[in-house]
Amino acid sequence: MKAVGARLPRYDGLGHVVGETTFVDDVRVPDGNLWARALRSPSHAARIVRLDTRKAAELPGVHGIVTHEDIPRNVYGHLEALGVPADEPLLAEDEVRYKGQPIAVVAADSEEEAQAAVEAIELELEERDTLFDIRKAFDPDAPKIHPWGNWFPYFGGPDEGPDRRKVRKGDIDKAFSDADTIVQGVYRPAAIEHCPTETQVALVVPEASGRLVIYSCTQAMYFSMGVVAAHLEVPLNKLKFVGGTVGGGFGGKVDTAAETLSGLLALKTDRAVKWRWTREEEFLASSTRAPWHMEIADAVTSDGWILGRKMLTLHDAGAYARFSPYGLTKHAFHHAGAYTIPNIHFDGFVVFTNRVPTTAMRGFGVTSVSFAVETHISRIANTLGLDPYEFRLKNANRVGDTTPNGVTLTDPSTVATIHAVAEAAGDTLAPEYAAMTSEPRSGPLLPDHLVTQQRDGRSAHA
Amino acid sequence: MKLTVNGRAHDLASDPLRPLLHVLRDELDVTGPKAGCQQGSCGTCTILVDGEARRSCLTPLALVDGAEVTTIEGLGDATRLNALQAAFHQYYGAQCGFCTSGMIVAAHALLERNPAPTRHDIQTALAGHICRCTGYVKILDAIEAVARGETFTETNGDRQPGVEESVAKTGVSG
Amino acid sequence: MTSEILLPTSQEEAIASFGDGGGLTVLGGGTALMPELAAGGPSGLRVLCLARAGLDGVSRSNGSVTIGAACPISALEELDEPLATAARHVADPEVRAQATVGGNICVEASAESPRGDLQAPLIALAATGRSSGAGGERTEPIENFLASRDGRLLLEVSYPDTSRVAGYAVARRPHAHHYPIMAACAARDSGTTRVAVTGAARTGHRCTSVEQALASGATADDAAARVVDDVAGELRDDALASAWYRERVMPTLVARALAQLEEGSA
Ligand SMILES: Cc1cc2nc3c(=O)[nH]c(=O)nc-3n(C[C@H](O)[C@H](O)[C@H](O)COP(=O)(O)OP(=O)(O)OC[C@H]3O[C@@H](n4cnc5c(N)ncnc54)[C@H](O)[C@@H]3O)c2cc1C
Ligand code: FES
Ligand code: FES
Repeated sequence: MKAVGARLPRYDGLGHVVGETTFVDDVRVPDGNLWARALRSPSHAARIVRLDTRKAAELPGVHGIVTHEDIPRNVYGHLEALGVPADEPLLAEDEVRYKGQPIAVVAADSEEEAQAAVEAIELELEERDTLFDIRKAFDPDAPKIHPWGNWFPYFGGPDEGPDRRKVRKGDIDKAFSDADTIVQGVYRPAAIEHCPTETQVALVVPEASGRLVIYSCTQAMYFSMGVVAAHLEVPLNKLKFVGGTVGGGFGGKVDTAAETLSGLLALKTDRAVKWRWTREEEFLASSTRAPWHMEIADAVTSDGWILGRKMLTLHDAGAYARFSPYGLTKHAFHHAGAYTIPNIHFDGFVVFTNRVPTTAMRGFGVTSVSFAVETHISRIANTLGLDPYEFRLKNANRVGDTTPNGVTLTDPSTVATIHAVAEAAGDTLAPEYAAMTSEPRSGPLLPDHLVTQQRDGRSAHA
Repeated sequence: MKLTVNGRAHDLASDPLRPLLHVLRDELDVTGPKAGCQQGSCGTCTILVDGEARRSCLTPLALVDGAEVTTIEGLGDATRLNALQAAFHQYYGAQCGFCTSGMIVAAHALLERNPAPTRHDIQTALAGHICRCTGYVKILDAIEAVARGETFTETNGDRQPGVEESVAKTGVSG
Repeated sequence: MTSEILLPTSQEEAIASFGDGGGLTVLGGGTALMPELAAGGPSGLRVLCLARAGLDGVSRSNGSVTIGAACPISALEELDEPLATAARHVADPEVRAQATVGGNICVEASAESPRGDLQAPLIALAATGRSSGAGGERTEPIENFLASRDGRLLLEVSYPDTSRVAGYAVARRPHAHHYPIMAACAARDSGTTRVAVTGAARTGHRCTSVEQALASGATADDAAARVVDDVAGELRDDALASAWYRERVMPTLVARALAQLEEGSA
């Protein structure tokens, strides 16, 4: 165990400090490369009436243009392996659903020539109504902006309907009628652009054998390989991925961005093609962390117990599903936070809007729900006039407590964590709270309402 | 147009308005300076023009005709790190590394001008440089360490192996 | 298409090369021009580069301070107030070392952000601009130059070298550096107060309503509120701030700048 707890030098640190690390944009190929640029939707929502690339193709320096017609399999879904159908075209076909959505890509001798060709592509759009506010997605008169409707319809776990993640535990109505107070809160963390200093970039070099060598800045190498192979309809041995050097990702380089289209251009032109997104494209069209809308109502007692929680989560997927159903699923696990709440009523929806598709960022889904839960816990303590540490410590998970999903906890660390927070903040706890441990509940820490929840648990390993 | 880059003289016939960044990266294959934004807003493309820190993406070739340009590659290599490079390595000032060459070059220009900067001086001098990974603290620590004369050729206590040892470990050679 | 570059080595040569300015783009430090070109702007330009034309100095003589159009903004950081503070707030040290005073006065505001943060302090200092172009050379108050700068080559700006008190208040937006959203500048010289704002309208703007209110004895706060009249109908709405925000914050900035005048003269 030489590495654990030791400060080791970064394995790639030396290359970084001398400028020798080879990022994708630094890779050089013998005969040079063509440069790609994309025609992106100038509209948030529109029908494509006409797309004509003929004039652009004639411009000097242009070697090839790819539209949806050139793609063996244009529509592919990130969750197909889980049985969720595909919804997102690699290049827009008849509809554009977010501003910045790619419609065509051009490869030319220089970035300037590629850009000139992009501007020469003739595009005619018929504007459609837009939807940006997830709260309005369910209104009867809301515009229908996604082929599946305005929210994701393919959940359907054993105890839930197809259109939501649903968690039910205990007797929520009894909890609310037994409560002394109901404390409500609405939490709306905003979208965040990952903004890596290296923008999305790919370089694809065709080999004589027909294999593509793909230099990629992806954070998810084998996943990206699968995505490219699916769109190209080629076996994995036709792709050689070179990756592992990422100029910042933070989750924003999980979804495959530049590799597939660069590969298609390389196949079409039989030349190496590099596509380096501009900073503006990165802000406009790369995925962001999702915005969420979360509503919490807690049934609480004056002496500081949480009897029940009702929660609604709306997860803004942007225009296509990608991994959002997975992000929402985190809310279905984490909406009680590190606290024990015996009665639960949770509904979560993945909602489509005309925003850029959203994705992972530093704790996909968990950070947003944790923000809401911890803020709400403090709000309850304030409302009841209780010390926020003491309120947390009482309700903190103990061995034998069960989660909203019914898993029995065997090694929760909430009590120790809160003790550590108090110490780091220089706050002194009352002796009985400082003495608390994660040991199974008993005595005053095991009121009647927590007895049944312990009985109903099941092992996490079952 | 004439340009000396890291000691090597070049004669260039490029468009006089071409950004120096592209001349360096695409014509001279000097890839240490990075194209983070190409709008002057991030600092990853920073180089030295006659010793002063400049954004190479904002600098048309015509403005540096006859100048001496130094990039990260000109400051040291993996077998002979300059003090800032060693400090960034040792203090974890480089994480993904994409901002690093610009940061080190700008810090170098600062220390040449002001060998004993305060932390505030360093922050001011690097105000145009974005790092999305480190949170800046380790970068400031590294530059401060150089400013107070810390040396980096020996194993530094129990913090971590010294630079030479990590050169051997990573197998990087000059 | 390759660009053509003209590199005059004296002021006279620059004036002659510029002529009436037709078909020419002037290059100062390029910090505004280069990002526009990178974003797919015109190629094959004819460019007049001022770097070697001897226009980069600052001099103090005959009761005035004169700054060449090609002078880097960094050279103003210790000059007279409120110009010096305004200069220190432009971009970051590396951009300031390259960007020129002329570029800052002649740059068009972009769709995303106002630029030209030196315009207001120069108006407050009662600066004049000397320029050449169709009809020959002309020297005029900087606010007049800003209103008719198309087709002009700015050569230098000057302002009276007197002792005065000055005020500067800014609202900034954090970036890698802190980008000024808007700022108010005030300068009082022998009892006369000049006030100007930057980042509020298309160019730096002299606040005559505020000045008149002060001259007729209004309190500083009441006078500051009049800035809304000065920029009415011209308020910018961009990525840094909405017109709504600007309208509400501008009076506070003017009031702060005026308050500094009182502190300065006390
Ligand atoms: C990262 C970054 C941050 C910035 N922050 C700020 C800021 O905080 N405040 C601010 O005001 N600006 C800011 N800018 C914009 C710009 O840098 C400044 O306005 C700068 O002063 C422009 O000067 P320049 O010499 O570089 O102009 P250039 O790019 O050379 O020229 C700008 C325009 O003026 C014209 N021009 C230049 N000189 C003359 C002349 N003598 N006569 C006639 N026309 C001329 C050019 O033709 C061009 O149209 C920022 C830019 C960047 C990249
Ligand atoms: S690439 Fe030059 S400052 Fe970002
Ligand atoms: S180390 Fe990644 S941006 Fe600075």
